[in-house]
Amino acid sequence: MPVLLVAPAVLVVVALRIVPLVMGANYSLTGDGADNGAFVGLANYRTLLDDPVFRTALRNVGLLLVALPVAVSVPGILATFLFLRVPGHRLYRSVYFFPVVLSPVIIGAIFNVVLSFDGPANQLLVRLGMQPVDWLGDGSIAMLTVIAVHIWATFGMALVIFMAGFATVDQSLLDAARVDGANLPQTVWHVIIPELSQTIQFVFVTTMIGMLTGMFGLLYIMTAGGPGGATYLPELYIWVQQGQMNRPALASAASMVLFVFMLVVGFAQLRIIKRATKEV
Amino acid sequence: MLSRGPGRWAIAIPMALLALATLYPLLFTLNVSQKTRREYVLDRLGLTDRLSLDNFVAAWQTSGLNTYVLNSTIVTVGAVVALLVLGSMAGFAFSQLRFRGSRVLLLLILSALLIPFQVIMVPFFRILGGIGLLDTHLGLILAYTSQFLPFTIFLMTSYYSRIPGEIVEAARVDGSSTLGIYLRLMLPLGRPALLSVGILNALFCWNDVLIALLTMQSQDNRTLMVGVTALRGQYSDNIPLFASGVVIAALPVLLLYLFFQKQITDGVTAGATKG
Amino acid sequence: MSAAHPSGKARRPLSPRLVALASFPLLMTVAACGAASDNGDAGSAAEGGENGKLVVWDWKSGDAAAQAYFETARADFAEKHPGVELEFVAQPFDNYYQLLGTAIESGSGPDVVLFNGGAQMRERISALAPLDDMLGDTKERLTGWEAFQAEGTTYAVPITLQGLPFYYNKAVYEQAGLDPEAPPATYEELEAVCTAIAETGQDCFSLGNKEGIGIEFHLSTYGAGVFSAEQYDAWLAGDRDWTSPEVKQLFQLWVDQHEAGWYNDGVNSTAKFMDEYTKFQGGDSAHVIGLISDVAHWKSFDEFLGEDLGVFKPPVVTDQGSSFLPAEGGIGYAVTEWTADPELAYDAVESLSSTAALTDFYVEAGAIASDTTIDTSGAGIATVGDIVSWLPESKPLLHSALSAETLELMHRLSQQLIDGGVTVDDALQQLAATDQ
Repeated sequence: MPVLLVAPAVLVVVALRIVPLVMGANYSLTGDGADNGAFVGLANYRTLLDDPVFRTALRNVGLLLVALPVAVSVPGILATFLFLRVPGHRLYRSVYFFPVVLSPVIIGAIFNVVLSFDGPANQLLVRLGMQPVDWLGDGSIAMLTVIAVHIWATFGMALVIFMAGFATVDQSLLDAARVDGANLPQTVWHVIIPELSQTIQFVFVTTMIGMLTGMFGLLYIMTAGGPGGATYLPELYIWVQQGQMNRPALASAASMVLFVFMLVVGFAQLRIIKRATKEV
Repeated sequence: MLSRGPGRWAIAIPMALLALATLYPLLFTLNVSQKTRREYVLDRLGLTDRLSLDNFVAAWQTSGLNTYVLNSTIVTVGAVVALLVLGSMAGFAFSQLRFRGSRVLLLLILSALLIPFQVIMVPFFRILGGIGLLDTHLGLILAYTSQFLPFTIFLMTSYYSRIPGEIVEAARVDGSSTLGIYLRLMLPLGRPALLSVGILNALFCWNDVLIALLTMQSQDNRTLMVGVTALRGQYSDNIPLFASGVVIAALPVLLLYLFFQKQITDGVTAGATKG
Repeated sequence: MSAAHPSGKARRPLSPRLVALASFPLLMTVAACGAASDNGDAGSAAEGGENGKLVVWDWKSGDAAAQAYFETARADFAEKHPGVELEFVAQPFDNYYQLLGTAIESGSGPDVVLFNGGAQMRERISALAPLDDMLGDTKERLTGWEAFQAEGTTYAVPITLQGLPFYYNKAVYEQAGLDPEAPPATYEELEAVCTAIAETGQDCFSLGNKEGIGIEFHLSTYGAGVFSAEQYDAWLAGDRDWTSPEVKQLFQLWVDQHEAGWYNDGVNSTAKFMDEYTKFQGGDSAHVIGLISDVAHWKSFDEFLGEDLGVFKPPVVTDQGSSFLPAEGGIGYAVTEWTADPELAYDAVESLSSTAALTDFYVEAGAIASDTTIDTSGAGIATVGDIVSWLPESKPLLHSALSAETLELMHRLSQQLIDGGVTVDDALQQLAATDQ
């Protein structure tokens, strides 16, 4: 009976996730264009290694991982303030979640205009006496801009998860800390963070999955990989090779590299997922 | 804890600014949607001095958003129902019933969380085309179900695992079958999680562009979000029309959020807390 | 089997062995055979006409201005095949070739497809039906075929011509004290014009290079002024020397123009379609390199600039260079190889390229049609007369001869040339390596 309960879900996931993955692994060993269908061994993978754009794409995944702690701590800090009842906290809690309900493609399109060189963001900078910044046209900062917009678009989700975690913090511990004369940072460090460890892990996992699998929409609209290929991510590379360049086999090879990469990163995190799904 | 007086406000002011920054893009879009194409070309950023529904009417009627809304609704409802049924069944089984291979299967499903859609894109559409479901509502429902099922199972499993095993055991002693326990015990108990996970999935499906774009080839089957994105094509410089489409597409979602705010925010937290 | 879980806490942690086990089948089970692109046994044969419907993909039929064209074509086809309905599906252009790729791979898609001439069509000829045997006298009536041929075979029928003229704003010329009726004919004159305009505080050119397409327009316009006739023809024929002094000069101009401040700020974050042209239409700049059909052309500029709109041919740069309008087939219709009845699908293409339909396209949408028999005198917009008069001596666009891969690289390099990430010599060496 339990098998029957899980069977439909397993069937869907296997048929539409796992089987395509295996088919893709197979395509990645065949050729494109004139070599369509012919076995070419690891030629596609060699092409990938030689392609500076793909290398940049992988490097940018590394950048995402570096940005992960920021994406987790920003909502964490904000949630702490909300928990401590900053004036207007009810309103903020609602407003901050608001970008989460918008489609990434729409957020990207809006920020395209807001961050354009003669857009409102730069107008504000100039009014404050600063130099305008080419947010999306300067290869050294464009990726950071897109990551920042991604964090803007998703921090509300992490925020409410933190808020729920706070709701379970044992009030007597906080009272005890106050009696002991602990200041705010001490309280956060010694009481709140240990109490929230489960929540923090959960936010880490969901934020990581969001960053590694959910940035395509923004990227595609905001930079399309430019300038000079500086903002490619593997998903975009796969998309471009498959569509514009009409090289589905090479795209499949890139897919496999991305998947293995995700699996390695995922292994580290699976431990945490497992703990989250297990009862504490 | 937070000292009264100036300290509170020192934090409150940046937070208020952040709240403003969160709302600004939508206000900006609303402003653009009020302009005519000509006004936008001549002055992209200035504040509009009139209120008009012209662009909304144009986007709704001539651009066919009215038919796209129907498609989005069908597909979203279909996918959410499928996700909740499959997700709660699997979540129940994985959290409360031990059977051979359950851990491996759960792991298999959770590992799919880590597969970006692009990774399986090429073969995925080959399969969908092979079973004749490309460009059909059912095909898109299936695509969404497979895309968001791992996440749903993840949340439902962690939610159900908080329910003490004794409750299930007691029901069994009373003579309930496994199916009976699922229908009469787990579904009602899971209501809060099902509601919020359902709303989250509805958001994901409603907002998706990529999968819908590639699945639905014909115009009649297009979803709302794809239709809105198409308003901002390479060959269109009618940005106010696009802005109006954005507002139209975001409106139902915003209403949903305002009505179900508590459920949404509660739901994402399943599994995040110590219970 | 279904023993209830004694307590939620009793689960053992997952062992690494199980983790490995779970991923094992994913990595090791490789299906028996398959190819990444499924060109052969397409499954949509049933769609092609037998059920009374032909599906046509484009990115234009959603435009209000193109409605007359599509209705005329539809009526023309209905007369020939009363039982078969033409269904026009307007796809978003941003994702057009992505969608087409998915259709080709899944083997189910449209019967007739609109293409841009050049690389995008040539990359996909294995999914298209050769049309030469069916063309008949259409071949004489229309021009612009080269952009839709590959290795001597014709895969699509051109409906418009596309070219790259320089448009200018006469009002900005007047503000700068320049003669609005004497646009520059040589590069030196253009430099003088830009110097004069810089003093008014306006941009000499509007440019958007977010997608990297700006370099294509640069190459194909200034190329006419730099190359000798022989070099130009050799380039088109595939004999390209990327390290020649002329090519180097062309790319150096791209860099120099940026350093001289000809363009608006934020070139790499400005979209060519349509931010660049929105700026020009809004009166922010003196010039823009535009198109003659589809979009960013005389008709759309006329709407905003009216009498102030002027046009000239790319300037002569070197002694050996010449001045002509680079132009060729713009967009055209192809028949997919999986359609059930190619003859029927071709009849749809013929209706879509009929003189009556193309006349509507020209008048309403402002496209320069490929049909040489259309009378273009009555457009009422001065610039179109100039453009049409330049067509007989035009030559195909230089960038259209390049492969999608080379173009993609050139897009990236053009952005790096602007922000100093690569030198001209470096860029040309990379391009030479790709273009073989």
